[in-house]
Amino acid sequence: MSGLTVAARNAATRLRAPRTQKTLTGYLFIAPFILGFFLWFLVPALTALWLVFQDWNLIRSPVFIGLGNLRKLVDDSLFTKSLIVTTYFTVVSVPLQLILAFLLALLLNAQVRGIAFFRTVFYLPSIVPVVANAVMWAFIFNPEFGLLTPLLRALGLPRILWFQDPAWAMPAMILMSLWGLGGAMVIYLAGLQGIPDSLFEAADIDGATRWSKLLYITIPLMSPVIFFNLIIGLIGSFQIFTAGYLITSGGPQNATLFYVLYTYRTAIEYLDMGYAAVLSWILFFILLVLSLLIFRYVGRYVHYEDVDA
Amino acid sequence: MQTRITRRNFLALAGSLSVTGMLAACAVPGQAPAATGGDGMAQETIVIEFLGSPGMDAHLEDEYQRFREENPGLEWIQVQQQQGIQLLTAIASGTAPDTARVESNVYRTFVRDEVLMDITDYIDADSQFSQPDYWLQPQESDRCTQNGRWYGIGSCWVAPHIYYNADIFEAEGIEPPSNDPEQAWEWDHFLTVARQLTVDTNGNHPGDPGFDIESVDRWGVNWPTWWIPLHAAVQSNGGAWVDGETQQIVLDSPEAVQALQNIADLQLVHQVMPQAPFLEALGMSTVQMLENQKLAMQIDGSWALAWTWEMNATLGTAALPKMKRPATDLQAHLVTIVSDTDIPDESWELIRFLSSPWYQERYCNLGLWLPSQSALMTDEAIDRWMGPPIHPPGYKGIVTQFVPDYGHFLTMPVGYQKAADTVLQPAFDTIWIGDQTAEEAMKVVPDANAVLAEEAMRG
Repeated sequence: MSGLTVAARNAATRLRAPRTQKTLTGYLFIAPFILGFFLWFLVPALTALWLVFQDWNLIRSPVFIGLGNLRKLVDDSLFTKSLIVTTYFTVVSVPLQLILAFLLALLLNAQVRGIAFFRTVFYLPSIVPVVANAVMWAFIFNPEFGLLTPLLRALGLPRILWFQDPAWAMPAMILMSLWGLGGAMVIYLAGLQGIPDSLFEAADIDGATRWSKLLYITIPLMSPVIFFNLIIGLIGSFQIFTAGYLITSGGPQNATLFYVLYTYRTAIEYLDMGYAAVLSWILFFILLVLSLLIFRYVGRYVHYEDVDA
Repeated sequence: MQTRITRRNFLALAGSLSVTGMLAACAVPGQAPAATGGDGMAQETIVIEFLGSPGMDAHLEDEYQRFREENPGLEWIQVQQQQGIQLLTAIASGTAPDTARVESNVYRTFVRDEVLMDITDYIDADSQFSQPDYWLQPQESDRCTQNGRWYGIGSCWVAPHIYYNADIFEAEGIEPPSNDPEQAWEWDHFLTVARQLTVDTNGNHPGDPGFDIESVDRWGVNWPTWWIPLHAAVQSNGGAWVDGETQQIVLDSPEAVQALQNIADLQLVHQVMPQAPFLEALGMSTVQMLENQKLAMQIDGSWALAWTWEMNATLGTAALPKMKRPATDLQAHLVTIVSDTDIPDESWELIRFLSSPWYQERYCNLGLWLPSQSALMTDEAIDRWMGPPIHPPGYKGIVTQFVPDYGHFLTMPVGYQKAADTVLQPAFDTIWIGDQTAEEAMKVVPDANAVLAEEAMRG
């Protein structure tokens, strides 16, 4: 009994020790992330890994089918289609967003009267709720009553069936995505404001042109920010879902059947959780490999100012 | 008196409160604690998932109250439901409700997978429900039974028909279509009228020299190209969507193909219909289009009467035009008992309540539902629940003739949703923009049936 009391007292003393308390406080502060990581990422990810080998329709008990779900990939034309659709979207929209957001940030970095207003105006679209955004663009692109139709007519162009014609549905989606480039723009803007003025002043003294300053000062010093936006943009565009779900439902003719939309349908509408888990893991590996390749081959062009410091 | 609190204690207190809050927020909704009645007896709480629709929330309190009065010791709770997905996730996570509303497209899959309880014995033992004429037959048995057993009861019927702006017809001096299916327009007459009603900004009609489809001021008709209005067209041409015997998709039959082509030709050949299937998503609803005379006739489900009646123009309704025979699609969700329930008898009382004439009449009265119960089809009952301002003159023809005599229920076999999404819908897309004829596009039907076979194997 007394031994227990001593042990308890010792434990209490240890808990009161400043070092232990600091450690506990540290864990307490990181607990939300650690718990979140385990509960909402690691456990679901491992469950998805287990599901890869199961046939489960959410209702009956899962049945072990070995590599059955993986074999389905071979004959699944929609898997290939959704991958092509998503890659098309990514390859066009990500570079466009990177360049346009950068140019916009350069413009909004100018010292002119009312610049804060313009920055707000250009940033606002990116905080519009995604559903409202989708409805607005569905209206703009509507071939009967849409805002674009009279504009095209005025230019002497024919009416375009944006979301009905498989050739135009993806360009319409890409145009829509550019509306939300305010987020990347703000990150660029923060990066631009971090470049010391002294560098530009020195370049001015040397007689550098605007183009030279952009090419040899701004872009190299902004390269970590560009790199960050590239990675985030790439991951985000591979995960695009809402616009395809809300506006086109993946159509017409599967022209906007984005990969995540197909995964969602497989799981929730076709009740094939095992195959949906396979699709999810494939997306994970695609993004992992792409990120590693970009780090390896693009990362070497990124200039970190304090590397040699 | 002021209480001093250290920063560390404050943080500890705030942390505890946050954790408590999170735990409280994570409590499973719907698992309400059993209420205790005044007599000290514990009362069960039945949880029902219910697809929300306009007007329903306003009715709930009355319904809770009446159910309590009819079933002392019982309560029920409505939980908003999204297309059966919530039911499946609840079952998968071990928090299944006792009763649920199930969409007709997944009903047979749920029956196959034993999600739904067999309620045949309850129906047979019920003095009212066991009467052969309690429901409109044979449609009710067609939708509810699988191998002769009942697993749910239809909430009501809904069916597509014509909505039109009667002011346009009057101004143009055109006789409007009738609610009497025996007087349904022939397809050619329907096309002629739709042409007369379609006009561009220069006053030209389709077929006139100089007609400009790019600047149409008013469209003659809008026949949406999703499965309910399309199924009505296919039936009207003497075809079927799914064969009742084999449960195979038969959209490649000559009758079905011709019906699909007829709908596509409304846009592509006759130029009387807009190529904009996203109107509803835009806030430019078809009601507004009818109201603003941008559209003369709209094909829509009977449920749309619940809000279309409010339009600021004279509303008319009519039976659909016939290709070979008058026909429409019949559909509705079903109320069911979930197999896992611990309280089947009490759950049955709720299903019984939700299938009562009193309950169904409330929503028929709103214009949202059409009756599936014979009790609401008598002249006396119709006079009670149907009438202005919601139901336009002559609507009785839709209720008493078009729906019961010419309505066809579409049974969707196991795996239908996947076959429709992955095979049929992409093929339909090619028809509406003229990339393929209906005949060419429907060559994918064997692929769709292969998906059905594959999904049936999963059972």
